[in-house]
Amino acid sequence: MSIPGMASALTAFIGVILLMIIFGFMNPNFLSKTNLMSLARSICPYLLVGIGQGIVCITGNIDLSIGSVLGMSAMISATLICNGVNPIVAIIIDIIACLIVGVVNGVLVGKCKLPPFIGTLGTMTICRGVAQLVNNNYNTGDIGTAPLAKAVRDIFYYGKIGVIYYGVIVALIVWFIFNYIMNYTKTGRHIYAIGSNVNAAHLSGVNVFKTTTTAYLISAFTSCIAGLITMAAAGMGSMQAGMSYEMYGVAAAVIGGISTLGGSGLLIGVIPGASVWAILQNGLTLANVPVAMRNIIIGIIVVACVLLDIMRRLDVKVKKENKKE
Amino acid sequence: MKDEFAVSMEHIFKTFPGVKALDDVQFNVKPGEVMALLGENGAGKSTLMKILSGVYTRDKGDIYIFGKKIEGNLNTTKAQNLGIAIIHQELNMCQHLTIAANMFLGRELIKNGVLDNKRMNELAKAELAKLGASDINPETIVGDLPVGRQQMVEIAKALLMNAKILIMDEPSSSLSNAEIEEMFRIVKELRNMGTAIVYISHRLQELHHIVDRVTIMRDGKFIKEGKFSDFTMDQIISYMVGREITNQFPRDEVKRGKKILEVRNVYAGDRVKDVSFDLYEGEVLGFAGLVQAGRTETMRAIFGADKKTSGKIILDGKEIEINSPEDAIKNGIVLAPEDRKKEGLCTKLSIRQNISLPNLDEVSSKFGTIDKTKEDELIKKGYEALTIKMSSSEAAVESLSGGNQQKVVVSKWLARNSRVVIFDEPTRGIDVAAKVEIYQIINKLKKQGIGVIIVSSELPEVMGISDRILVFCNGRITGEVDARKTTEEEIMTYATKFYDAN
Repeated sequence: MSIPGMASALTAFIGVILLMIIFGFMNPNFLSKTNLMSLARSICPYLLVGIGQGIVCITGNIDLSIGSVLGMSAMISATLICNGVNPIVAIIIDIIACLIVGVVNGVLVGKCKLPPFIGTLGTMTICRGVAQLVNNNYNTGDIGTAPLAKAVRDIFYYGKIGVIYYGVIVALIVWFIFNYIMNYTKTGRHIYAIGSNVNAAHLSGVNVFKTTTTAYLISAFTSCIAGLITMAAAGMGSMQAGMSYEMYGVAAAVIGGISTLGGSGLLIGVIPGASVWAILQNGLTLANVPVAMRNIIIGIIVVACVLLDIMRRLDVKVKKENKKE
Repeated sequence: MKDEFAVSMEHIFKTFPGVKALDDVQFNVKPGEVMALLGENGAGKSTLMKILSGVYTRDKGDIYIFGKKIEGNLNTTKAQNLGIAIIHQELNMCQHLTIAANMFLGRELIKNGVLDNKRMNELAKAELAKLGASDINPETIVGDLPVGRQQMVEIAKALLMNAKILIMDEPSSSLSNAEIEEMFRIVKELRNMGTAIVYISHRLQELHHIVDRVTIMRDGKFIKEGKFSDFTMDQIISYMVGREITNQFPRDEVKRGKKILEVRNVYAGDRVKDVSFDLYEGEVLGFAGLVQAGRTETMRAIFGADKKTSGKIILDGKEIEINSPEDAIKNGIVLAPEDRKKEGLCTKLSIRQNISLPNLDEVSSKFGTIDKTKEDELIKKGYEALTIKMSSSEAAVESLSGGNQQKVVVSKWLARNSRVVIFDEPTRGIDVAAKVEIYQIINKLKKQGIGVIIVSSELPEVMGISDRILVFCNGRITGEVDARKTTEEEIMTYATKFYDAN
């Protein structure tokens, strides 16, 4: 395949299948219908933050505020609903609040030229503070079972059509939208271009600030939806929601073949990328591996995945250069 | 006989893939002498000095240092140990460290297992004092020093390493007048101390202050060597540029149309000073000058890539506001930049993506969805202009050869209708056949009534392809010549006409 990133995405898909076979052997329950259904659902938050982080990575930047925005989203929406605000209105307010963070990130990185690591480190801390502030430093209570509140729980988590949970459908719709934007629109092209060579893009008339901000807006939006899923699952807002999710996003994106250096990778890769992460969590739990060991194993596997990918790429590059000479 | 020379290089050959960089070159310099190494860009001066300082290895030839033949290849450490030091045009200093820390970098003095800062500062101070700069505190952070002083620190560092042979590559290019005078004083000081100095400079007017002998190179060949006082400036210039101008530059004659672009009193950064010129339909306007004369910066300011401090740009009689490349492109002014890897291309992306990048507005719907059919047409239009050989438009640009990459840079801008097309060094590093193709494109644009600007450091090219030439020196236009009547000598005279050197 000549499309950069496709090979890595395929490798990740194969990895997913291998992992499923291995865990299937270790514990037959792993491949049961119920477990696969809930597994698909548990992939969703990783997939969403992977889409956001992946797109920011393609621009050559990083978004550390993802996890905090997720937490902020969960807290804002739950607090509003608990205080009797119409859940639809609550979600709209929540989305707007998160998008503001995207704009701030865009201004800091795209306009003020802060290193993305520092700029989004700042918003990460601020957003976690906001998450704590909205309900006076308490987690919220239960969002209740009024029809609309129940609808929120169903749409984002509990409801299902046949064997597929609504949450999965929500995540896939988000993926389809952004996959389309990345591959078939001007905006997507600009996002790849600034990640590949920001100077060349600028000289080609690409508005670097606007494009950077768009990427951060997307990332804030996907984090917001992930926050709603987390909130719906728990039926309440937790101030700790989304801790470290920015890094899970990096993992999902990188395993799926998106380069943190920018300019390359496909959003299709985030699907297996997020799946690897979720399957490892789920499979190791079912295999009764203690939490500490789980973390160590997952860490090693993620590093190994990425290392393999880098080695493969270097190999391809070396071969290409030899051919030239 | 070789004993009298600090350096003697004989029959040096060096070939890079596709280019004969050095072809039987000789070079020598005596202790206590300043030898100027002259030649146009690409004459092979830097390659020769990189061989001497161990950065490149020679293919063939002998090198003697103080009469001793160097067996085998030099490397940078070996060259350093032999007392060879090079002061680059771009200084190599750790800006955040102190002077003493920089001077002892990699050779730090240790006492009782910790850095002996006291002694390092003393030694650094002593070395600077030798250069007549006892007022400099060695504990100053290098980044806080003016450039001239930084250069002095670098020279002091070389002396600290017992440099006997000092190569100075364009040392005056980034210095102010006062700093240049101080640098000359130091060079003279070093000469009196018996150091052999190789002085590379494009500023011919300044040579008489310090130079004893000159070596002139051209196209990788040794041309002439002798006492500086035996040459006139005109002779030196003609030795430097004296190549035969063959007809490898096809120039179509087109009647000049009405005025398209007026640039008035543009200032930008510190390299663009009061630039004004006009451009007409069906005209190719060449911009000649030495590297870093401010031509690229002028083009970037006109194109909106850099901020203008002041000045007006008038297109078709109407003043236009250009604050970003976006604005320029909308107004039909486009720029194919100088460095294709750094600025021209997104090398990881495909040919298709690169060509359509600046033209997406023309092929996408109101909502920004790219229309594949329209994009194909656009790519085809870009292709037709140039015969790009490639397997498919989906191939990544990084897989193409330099010449083909350059064609992609050009195609980007041919796929849309423009009024003014600016080419900055359009043929750098590509082969003759590809060059001619690019010249033909320029001719074609000219026939369509488009105003073309070409910035080029290759004099034969700029003379062969333009109609009119503006010569830049130190951020200003110092001369305008008719490309059909001018000589390389005339252009070089303008190109080295430093206002501050008079």
